[in-house]
Amino acid sequence: MASSAAIHVAVIGAGIVGAAAAHFLAAAGARVTLLDASGPAAGATGASDGAVSVASKRPGPMMDLARHARAFYVRCERDGLFRGLFHRRSTFLVARTAVEAELVARHGADLAAAGERVVEVDRATLLARIPGLGASVCAALEIPDDGHALGYEITQRLLGRSRITIRRNAPAAEIVMRAGRAAGVAIGDELVAADAVLVAAGIGSAPLLGLGEILIPRKGQMAVTDRASLSGPAIDGHLMAASYLAAKRGIAREDGHIGLVIDPLMTGQFLIGGSREDHRSDHATDARTIAAILREALDLYPPLAQRRVLRSFAGVRTASRDGLPIVGAHPRREGIVIATGFEGDGICLGPFMGACAARLLLGEAPAVDLAALSPQRFVRVEAHA
Amino acid sequence: MSGHFFWSGMPVAFRPGETIAAALLRAGIADLGRPDGHLPGGRVFCGIGACQGCIVAVEDAAPIESCLTLAREGLRLGPLPALGTGHD
Amino acid sequence: MTEAPILIVGGGPAGASAAATLAEAGLPVLLVEQRDQLGGAIHRQPANGAGDHVWRPARHRRTWAALTARLRACAGMIEIRTQTVFLGVDGAGRFLFDDRRAGRVFASRPRAAIVAVGAIETIRPFPGWELPGVMTAGGAQVLLKETGRPPEGPILIAGSGPLLPALAAQLAKAGNPPVAVLERGRPWRPGTLARLALAGGPMGEAVAYAAALALGRVPYRCGALVTRAEPDGAGLAVGIRAGADERVLRVRHLLIHDGIEPNRAGIPLPAPEAAVPVLLAGDGREALGADAALLDGRRAALQLLARLGTGTAELAALESGLERARRVQAALAQALGSKPMVPAPETLICRCEGRSYADLQALADDASVREIRLMGRFGLGACQGRFCGPMIAALRGRPVPAASPPRWPLRPVSVAALARLSTDETE
Repeated sequence: MASSAAIHVAVIGAGIVGAAAAHFLAAAGARVTLLDASGPAAGATGASDGAVSVASKRPGPMMDLARHARAFYVRCERDGLFRGLFHRRSTFLVARTAVEAELVARHGADLAAAGERVVEVDRATLLARIPGLGASVCAALEIPDDGHALGYEITQRLLGRSRITIRRNAPAAEIVMRAGRAAGVAIGDELVAADAVLVAAGIGSAPLLGLGEILIPRKGQMAVTDRASLSGPAIDGHLMAASYLAAKRGIAREDGHIGLVIDPLMTGQFLIGGSREDHRSDHATDARTIAAILREALDLYPPLAQRRVLRSFAGVRTASRDGLPIVGAHPRREGIVIATGFEGDGICLGPFMGACAARLLLGEAPAVDLAALSPQRFVRVEAHA
Repeated sequence: MSGHFFWSGMPVAFRPGETIAAALLRAGIADLGRPDGHLPGGRVFCGIGACQGCIVAVEDAAPIESCLTLAREGLRLGPLPALGTGHD
Repeated sequence: MTEAPILIVGGGPAGASAAATLAEAGLPVLLVEQRDQLGGAIHRQPANGAGDHVWRPARHRRTWAALTARLRACAGMIEIRTQTVFLGVDGAGRFLFDDRRAGRVFASRPRAAIVAVGAIETIRPFPGWELPGVMTAGGAQVLLKETGRPPEGPILIAGSGPLLPALAAQLAKAGNPPVAVLERGRPWRPGTLARLALAGGPMGEAVAYAAALALGRVPYRCGALVTRAEPDGAGLAVGIRAGADERVLRVRHLLIHDGIEPNRAGIPLPAPEAAVPVLLAGDGREALGADAALLDGRRAALQLLARLGTGTAELAALESGLERARRVQAALAQALGSKPMVPAPETLICRCEGRSYADLQALADDASVREIRLMGRFGLGACQGRFCGPMIAALRGRPVPAASPPRWPLRPVSVAALARLSTDETE
């Protein structure tokens, strides 16, 4: 038997959040079994862009958490854990109409109020930084302290450096309770016994926690191009159109909205996204949606006309009903911690939130106050329903 | 011979109905790429557009398979990733 | 055409045969072909004005002439779109095409589809296979047919299979006999020829090739293989091993080939009973060669006619032709089989992304296909795993998957062309 002092935690979900939690739990001496219906980074983590971005966050708790989470990336890169996987990269918030310019300016003010460095960039400077930018671009803000990291690389690094038992192709059927406390996870007929359970399974979390109405899948289609450059990122920053900001700030548009981002990958390729399709949890891509994304992208950055699309793919984000992630102890079931609902912010928030979840499971206080993300908020709503 | 296209600024003769690959090979141009140390350069290999080894950059357009694409008068071509853009 | 056509992807013998059969039965057909002319690989037509002088069995010429005559006879029922690359089927069930002439992607919803995109060659990798001057034997043959002229300078042909002596014979007849043909296997064991003849192999052709090689004084060495290739001035220095003997040959061109397999990467899965039936035909379904492809195209068309209720499928004769081709392939595989080889660590496996055998070995022995792709970065480049996929399967002792998951675009497509997507649906 393992040391009786070592808590055994079952982590459901080997995406970036679960992998981070598993890593930090193991580092603290816990015994960890990481379960995934498929394998590490098989879900949204493996179908995401590389933005570690404060710039894209809604003002309020999200923006604040993102600043902590990005600083966490910086520390992890410096201390060696993420060496070579995280890179500084500016985000450019780009407007193509007067209305968009107003939105971008407002967002810039919110970022500055949160303590973020925001640089106004006039069109001439912008063209010098990003040659070939579209004629319709009229205003932009640069957020120079943002960064870039690929979800599946971070996940692999987190898992490679710890002694964690990873169970692939192990879909969790239910969390087994005994005397009101979590006793483990049922995988088919097998019970993986544990002292505590972390649910970090994205959209797969809903059936396990009875959160069917609270978690909303939001499919995003993307495309990857061939290389524009043989030596590193083809342009000097991550381009984020006002349409993406509008979505993140909750300014309602018709469904099937495109929030345009152009992500210059370290390989010199571009990753271009993406659609926002609520209640879709499949991974199919369709030509009309991808074509619409590309038309927007070509308008913003015309040099894409010299590129070819190598593949299209889709990821399924997990949004929550009120737009905030759900992180904290399960309100009714002892021994269960939840960390999901990160929507399109999982890459940025993942490692930090995983570390916070690890602290919660070990009975410690997380590094920041997570009250705004507490699962309790849904219980109160239901009690009044 | 029926015309010329340009490879890295150099004129290359072609016959009507001929692919870019055939014309380049006849001109003795077998090396289609600028290897950068960790990525091999281009060359015609499978001849049927499957291996993507013969891809060449086209001025103001997306890259194409030279083994599939007919040569055209005045076409300006060069090694991947792009024709002398001056961005390096 | 008011009625949704039957879509045929690929204008080689299988596609042309299917198209003719369906059109003769009165169904509208849309035949798309990536090149500017029909023919596929085996019937690659000469470029305008090149003249059709490449030596090959007369029956190939006759077969193609007959096929094109049938297509002309029912031209009213067939729309042919050339310079059009099939991009696969998207999540909404649209069949997508990259029209290279128009510079735009178009989508359509056919009544049914027969996908006949042929085979790709299998390659045994060695250090230097990525160098200019190294080409597949099939690729060299396609160029020979297009231009009517062999490449200049010394040619070495190496690998395994009947294409090697066939190509060598054609090059010799065209005026540049290769300096040697290196066959990795040892086919001339007792009984091989007899077994091949019994299986119904094309013995007359084999004799003709052998005669051409003898006439051109082209050595055909068995149990010999290429170990590496290095740049050597304007040409290549090729390391060769035959038994214990190692030497270096200086040549201009190295043509390699280790067999063929269906080009299935990303292709939709066969679904004969679906609402929009999808069938595969020809070497793209099963690599049995050009004669079988002709039969297989007809078989697929008849199967479709039966499914659509407008005909009975008299498939017995076709099936026996395909069976015979299978027996020949099996006899050849048995004759030519040789030990699998472990490449040198620096050998490129994924050429597109510069990933080597050493990079593959660095991954866990039981790494999944997905992990090999995402973490190892194998198959994420422009060829979308068409060449490294089979290499990796062979190196890891796994069978090549019958089909990789369908996806689109199954060939790289211009961003601008896809942005200009046109569909035939009313919005």
